[in-house]
Amino acid sequence: MKKLIFNPEKCTGCRACELACSFSCEGLFIPNKSRIKVARIDEEGMDIPMGCFHCDQAPCMLLCPVRAIYFDKDMGGVLINHDKCIGCRLCMTACPFGAISYDSERRLVYKCDLCGGDPECVKWCFTQALIYEEAETLAKDKRSKKVESTVAALTAAARLVVPGRG
Amino acid sequence: MEVFEYGGYAGQLLRVDLTKGEVKKEPLSKELCTLYIGGRGRDAKILYDELPPEADPLSPDNILCISTGPITGLLGVTTGRLNVAAKSPLTGIYGNSNAGAHWGPELKYAGYDGIVVKGKSPKPVYLYIEDDLVEFRDASHLWGKGVLETTSILQRDHGDHDLKVAAVGPAAENGVLYGCLIFDYWDAAGRAGTGTVMASKNLKAITVRGTGALRVANPNRYMEVVRETWQALLEEPGFRTQEHAALGTPVILAVGNAQGWLPTRNFRETVFERAYDIAGEAFRDRFSIKESPIPGGRACLSCPNRCKRFGRIESGKYAGTKGGIEFETLAAFGSKCGIGDLEAVFHASMIANDLGVDTISCGNTIALFMELHEEGILSHEELEGLDLHFGNAEAMVEMIHRIAQKKGKLGELGALGVRRAAKAIGKGAEKYTTDVKGLETIGTDPRVAIGFGFGYAVSSRGSDHLRAHPVFEMLPYFRGVAEELFGSKEACMLGAFGGKVRLVFWHENMAAVTDSMGTCRFMHASFYPEYPIPEIVSKQFKGGKKLPSLKYYEWLSAATGIPFTYETLLRAGERIIAIERALNTRFGIRRKDDTLPSRFFNQPVPSGKFKGRIFPRDRFETMLDEYYELRGWDKSTGLLTEDKLLELDMRDVADDLKGRGLLASKVRMKTAKEKE
Repeated sequence: MKKLIFNPEKCTGCRACELACSFSCEGLFIPNKSRIKVARIDEEGMDIPMGCFHCDQAPCMLLCPVRAIYFDKDMGGVLINHDKCIGCRLCMTACPFGAISYDSERRLVYKCDLCGGDPECVKWCFTQALIYEEAETLAKDKRSKKVESTVAALTAAARLVVPGRG
Repeated sequence: MEVFEYGGYAGQLLRVDLTKGEVKKEPLSKELCTLYIGGRGRDAKILYDELPPEADPLSPDNILCISTGPITGLLGVTTGRLNVAAKSPLTGIYGNSNAGAHWGPELKYAGYDGIVVKGKSPKPVYLYIEDDLVEFRDASHLWGKGVLETTSILQRDHGDHDLKVAAVGPAAENGVLYGCLIFDYWDAAGRAGTGTVMASKNLKAITVRGTGALRVANPNRYMEVVRETWQALLEEPGFRTQEHAALGTPVILAVGNAQGWLPTRNFRETVFERAYDIAGEAFRDRFSIKESPIPGGRACLSCPNRCKRFGRIESGKYAGTKGGIEFETLAAFGSKCGIGDLEAVFHASMIANDLGVDTISCGNTIALFMELHEEGILSHEELEGLDLHFGNAEAMVEMIHRIAQKKGKLGELGALGVRRAAKAIGKGAEKYTTDVKGLETIGTDPRVAIGFGFGYAVSSRGSDHLRAHPVFEMLPYFRGVAEELFGSKEACMLGAFGGKVRLVFWHENMAAVTDSMGTCRFMHASFYPEYPIPEIVSKQFKGGKKLPSLKYYEWLSAATGIPFTYETLLRAGERIIAIERALNTRFGIRRKDDTLPSRFFNQPVPSGKFKGRIFPRDRFETMLDEYYELRGWDKSTGLLTEDKLLELDMRDVADDLKGRGLLASKVRMKTAKEKE
């Protein structure tokens, strides 16, 4: 199952994802309505991408009194069925990440719907801080990264020259 | 509010009168958009129309403009830029500066393309902007505080870690002539003292929160163009090396040293023996905090280049130092002062940022004092106990504090900048200054980088690279392009003169456009994905693939709906340079001011690859003639000419200058050949 994964370590805080998301969903450049948000902590030089994590045990889904929120296995996403939604906004209070918003004009709760399985934000993320892929491969990738850095460290320890550094 | 006809723009200007305590919202003038685009262009026109030429820069009469462009805040490459302009207290002429980060876009989401600030508040205030709500708030608790603390307090007071804040520091409050305006903690509109102008109005900060939307004229076309521009940047050979993303602007320090143009010890030399100790690589390895994928990179809005660094010093004398570093700062506090202690330079960068002084002007001033001391012009007593010699890092750091607080005679002098300080010191000190029109020279030696050097002389704000910024001359692989676009393959060679005037002319026009659009200079200078360069490269490598190109005119047209072509956009660039020249003409700038410091004409480079080089004065004068010819300015005086202004649709400016007797008397007629 594919999952949307956020990696603050790789995020540069450029917020192209917010602009692409808002344009894709609203036809306008309006970061305030983007389903994904990057918190820029300029004081400490950190950038934290936040959005719907599409949790397996999603509190919004569990709490919805009319079961308007459901899990889509094909996409690996938590989605809202607007035909069923009564607009009680309980999901907003339930979400620990603030990933669900309310549009007062349209009187509608809204959140990331993974663009139907091809998320726009991921396409614009130049550093791959946002990825949408098989969750199983993530651990494997992280292991091979760790192996690489361990090899580099051991090589350096063996007093061999590591190209590109120093 | 009615929807503004052109896309990209927010559609209104915020007019702030601090004397009356009034705020007005004014619809944007369409003519300003078509002729001057936005940002730097619009600011210059507003100053031209509204600023009395004789106004004292630090009086309530001066006008401070902060402007975004039509592309600021949109998806694209590098859409985070804004422009700040005023009459400069440092130079007494037109002053402006450009900054990145996310403050500019936020202003547009709040519904404003720019802010025009006039008057002076009776007590310290900050301007609070939250969409439609705009009001003055008391800033007495912030007065005297550093930029970092001020920003932090404002964010905490408003309970918003993401509140965008532009603030000035104590140096600006104390009247240091090169105080800057700092956005989002770290991003400085550094040059020409715009921060000091803001502080002189008792305006400490401007906070912005915006939740609104920006629309573009032709959404589908816009996204097509943006995908192309994005691709063009990603495939640009320089960008593909990822050096810039890996090290930020400090990447050029080691390059500059190897190429022999790194100003060292107040421009006495051009090669610094400790360059590698303060190079971008050293900063990455020692202080960068972000580990992956490339250490330290942070970005302005929608920019894949992420040239901003972030690092921290964890232990030792300068523990607690944090923030970014730029090449110019490394050169100013490092090589120009002969200092190879990176921790001290990084620390100096942070305190300059916090106190709110331009690192280039400040570093140059300290370097000048160091040289004056070594030359015996500043005596030991005059230094008030400070052992100010080249290489003394502690004295350099102490000097920044003294300047910002204007402490003692030395601090007072330092606060004046190089030109005024040398004049006040006398005793032949002026021989050692390296400013043009009162603005301190940046970190590239004009005796080697001829295009840069010529650009300093003709730049509208004084000695600075960000008017022309012809990085092209450092990239010898562009020989074919140089020949076709600038008429000589020497245009891409350091130390050579061929094609350099046309190189500067093209770069200046493009730069005026990008500063006015609200995008970053690096898209056509440093990297060269901009039309027509990829086209020329593709044509010359027959059988090779066609390179994608970035076209400002298509990008602007799709966003705004104003039909621009490459030619009309270059003319807009010319127009923006002309309005700045018109402003400067009223401030008294003539041909005699378009020159270089005598050091570069007379003193040969003492070592390195370009040993023995000077910028020959006769050569310079010939280049200046050629430049005036291209610009359509009068060769003997440097005044604008009527036919050129009319050709650029600037009748109002021509009439005004004529009325003041500031238009060249002889109308230059075009030759038949030029008309072709």
